[in-house]
Amino acid sequence: MPTTPLNRICYVEDDEDIQRIVRMSLERVGKMTVEVVGDPAQAIETIKAFKPDLVMLDWMMPGIDGPTLFRMMRETPEVKHLPVVFITAKASSSEMDELRAMGAAGAISKPFSPKDLPDQLRSIWSGLP
Amino acid sequence: MDHSKDAAVLDLASTGESAAAAPPVRELADRRKVFGDQVDLLFRHSPTGVLISIVVGGIATYELWGDDTRDLISLWCVLMVFVGAARHLLYRAYYKRTDDNYDNWLRWFAIGAFAMGAVWGFAGAVFFPAHTDAQQVFLSFLLAGMVAGGIPVYSAVWWVYALYGVAIIAPFTYILATFGSEQFAELAVLVPLFLAVNVSIARRLSRVFADGFRLRHAYAHLGQDHSMLNAQLQDQIEELLQAQREIEASGRKLALFSERAPIAVFEVDRNGTVLEMNPSAENTFGYSSTELIGRSMIRMLIPSDAPVLNGEWWQSFVRNARPEAGLKVRCRRRDAVELICEFSLTPLVNDVGELISVITQCQDITQQLEAERLKKEFTSTLSHELRTPLTSIIGSLQLINTGMLGELDKEVGELTTIAERNGQRLLDLINDLLDIDKIESGKLQTHSEALALDELVRESLVLNRAFADRFGVRMVLLGTPPPMAVYADKKRLIQVMTNLMSNASKFSPEGGTVEVQLEQVDQMARVSVMDRGSGIPPEFRSRIFGRFAQADSAATRQKGGTGLGLAICKRLVELMGGRIAFADREGGGTTFFFELPLMDRAAVAIR
Repeated sequence: MPTTPLNRICYVEDDEDIQRIVRMSLERVGKMTVEVVGDPAQAIETIKAFKPDLVMLDWMMPGIDGPTLFRMMRETPEVKHLPVVFITAKASSSEMDELRAMGAAGAISKPFSPKDLPDQLRSIWSGLP
Repeated sequence: MDHSKDAAVLDLASTGESAAAAPPVRELADRRKVFGDQVDLLFRHSPTGVLISIVVGGIATYELWGDDTRDLISLWCVLMVFVGAARHLLYRAYYKRTDDNYDNWLRWFAIGAFAMGAVWGFAGAVFFPAHTDAQQVFLSFLLAGMVAGGIPVYSAVWWVYALYGVAIIAPFTYILATFGSEQFAELAVLVPLFLAVNVSIARRLSRVFADGFRLRHAYAHLGQDHSMLNAQLQDQIEELLQAQREIEASGRKLALFSERAPIAVFEVDRNGTVLEMNPSAENTFGYSSTELIGRSMIRMLIPSDAPVLNGEWWQSFVRNARPEAGLKVRCRRRDAVELICEFSLTPLVNDVGELISVITQCQDITQQLEAERLKKEFTSTLSHELRTPLTSIIGSLQLINTGMLGELDKEVGELTTIAERNGQRLLDLINDLLDIDKIESGKLQTHSEALALDELVRESLVLNRAFADRFGVRMVLLGTPPPMAVYADKKRLIQVMTNLMSNASKFSPEGGTVEVQLEQVDQMARVSVMDRGSGIPPEFRSRIFGRFAQADSAATRQKGGTGLGLAICKRLVELMGGRIAFADREGGGTTFFFELPLMDRAAVAIR
């Protein structure tokens, strides 16, 4: 279990509406610091600069999808240690198992409840080694 | 049909054979019947014999009557009348008989004939010595006449005649032999000879009679056989005609099946050359039958790089001569358009296993596959493209309704709450539709594991209490749930329990109680959810587990729900090896329950 409370979140999501809702949920309800990335191609650079505690990835994105981005992160030394949580509407359990085996911290299914999202993330955070 | 024809041929042959090797026709006669006819003939002549005896006896009495012979002649007359009467009674009895025991009748007749002969023999023996020469001549002629006259009367059975003759002649011969005169002694030798000649004639006559009777019966028999044979032939011809009609009808039916079938049908030979094809085959591939018949189906329709139905594949198919089905092959239409077709091949083999032809049925499934692809795409769209905007809608409303963004005006708050609730309903409906689609296409996978059902029931109760509160309903656990283990998918099991509990809450009266119980029934764990609602209307009972099942559409608007919940529950429970049902509750209300096979609790502990 990490010694510090969960505070800095980086969220990669192409849908601007959901970006805003997640940002609002995490900032207002969860009192966290949030950095949102709309273009997955820029994600790794932003993450490097922002140095989040945890990264949230949308599953379906144009160009680079969540799982691809996740694999790219695993190959980038500066960000490879960061816990990753997927937000998804259609992950099959076999795909989820595969990602967990690669080191994904967890998954939150869409639609999520903005009221409960911070708690869900904290619960995953506290379950980390 | 073939069999009856074969059978018919065999029958005729065997009848013909028996006729060819047949014994003389008269042998066909029934011996008993011939014998019966002989006896019958004897009896028919019996009155004539008796009458002649009586008449001749009367004349003899008149001739031989004298003072010194009066007593004997009277005695003789009495004997004659007695025997005559006895024979007449026998005759009457014969014609009134109820049995056909001809042996017996013949025996009695023979006794009668012998008695009659003996009466005449008595006359010869007793009256001959005491009378004058003239009377002796008269008597001799009389006896000779009686013996000779007996031939037509008794010769139907020769030995009856022999008995009769011996009875007349034996005493007379004895008297002649012992009379003392040389001429009489010579006569005593001649008279038996005369009898022997008569018996031999009678015997021959008797054979003639018997032959006649035999022929009569044989011909009757033949006639009967003939008409039977005719009837049999008629039946067989009728059967053959019927069989022919049936073959023709089924042939027409088959032709019609193939002609009107929506599936392309080809008959091809062992080289794959088209022998026949139906109109559907013409439509499917765009070739007319004249273009394809006589050409190779494989070369014309199947690309050479197809994984099945190529030249090599065909060779091995012909060698094995086993039916093949469900072969999906990309085919070329005449206008070069590609079709995906599903082929079924049925080899037709003869008695010795040689392949005669192959019936090839083929269905164009291009559109069907396209429809399946579209459906998959639609489902995927439904799941992603509909859920993403809903995430925004429900998320926004939830954030507003938490009050984090500032207090809302009361009416605005009411409206955003309504919007959130209905957004959630829409989401539930989408989720339910996706679930049903997955279940019905067999794509829903359950991830079963050993679960402590008692703990899961408690968890579900906690999860659903808030929902029940909304309807002012209390949800309680009945008793302490006994520890029970089942092998099931946790997420899906909670889905089922949530569904039953939310239904019970929705349909309970305000202030009511929903009771939840876990118990063991036989080797099953049973979870029951009991409400005090208005019960299930009778007309709704049969379709309660069907899709879009709701008793009252007004209730849908009032209480929410998609009408798919119970259909999903039923399928999920069945997927996990259990069953779901409902029952009326005593005192009103309904119990919904599901049962799952019990596992050993120890197994759960180990896991």
